[in-house]
Amino acid sequence: MEPIRTDFRGYEGQYVAIDARSGEIVIADKDPRIVLEKAKGRNHVVVRGRVPHADEPIYVGLG
Amino acid sequence: MAEQQPLPWLFPYREDPQQTRLGQPILRPFVQVSLVNGDESTTMLDGLVDTGADAILASDLLADYLGVDLADHEGETQHAIGGRTHLARYKTISLRLHPHDGEIHEYREWQAQVGFIEDWHSYSFVLLGSVGFLDRFTVSASRFAQAVAVEERDAFDQRFGVPTA
Repeated sequence: MEPIRTDFRGYEGQYVAIDARSGEIVIADKDPRIVLEKAKGRNHVVVRGRVPHADEPIYVGLG
Repeated sequence: MAEQQPLPWLFPYREDPQQTRLGQPILRPFVQVSLVNGDESTTMLDGLVDTGADAILASDLLADYLGVDLADHEGETQHAIGGRTHLARYKTISLRLHPHDGEIHEYREWQAQVGFIEDWHSYSFVLLGSVGFLDRFTVSASRFAQAVAVEERDAFDQRFGVPTA
C-alpha cells in the first residue's frame, strides 16, 4: 500500500490538518484550537498536529 | 449515517511531520479517530497506534474542546513521555474509528477511558494503546506493507487459536 505523503515545508511551528486521501495540507495555524474549529465537520479532513522546526529532535513516539 | 463498511479497514502509513531520519521520511501507523462527549465531538484526528502503551492518551486540549470536566476525573497517573513526566487524568468517553479516506459519517464507536494530559499537543493529539483500543480490535501494523489493518477483535483468535499458556 502506498503511504500518504505530505509536504510539510513552510508550515514549521504551525498546527496542520490534511486531506486524508491526498495528504495535502488544507488548514494551518499557530493555534491548535483554530485548526480544530476550522476542521470540524469537514469530510476527509484530519487534524495531524504541530510541524516541528528542523532543529527539533525526533521523538520515538508522539513526544 | 452512511452504510458501514465491514472490517477489516486498511490504513496506509502516513508521513510524520518530523524531519527525516537518516535521509528517509518517517512513516507512522496512524488511524483516524474522533472523540465524543455527549453531544460534542471533535473533528477527525490522527491517532498513533502504539502497542507499547497501556492506555489511550490524549491532549487535554481535546477535553476542554469537548467540555469534559477533568476535575471530576476517574483517576490520575503520572506517565513518562519524551523524557518528561506528565499527569494524565482519566475519563470515560466515546471514541469513533473512521475509515482511512476520512469519511466523517462512517465510523465504529465504543467507550473507553482516556487519559487526558496537560499541555500535551505536539505532533499528534491521540495515542491509541492497549486498554481501550487494542482490546477492542485486532490491529496489525506492517511497515513492509506500509499499512495498518483493523479487524474485529476476535480475528486474532480465529487466525491463531486461543493461546493456552
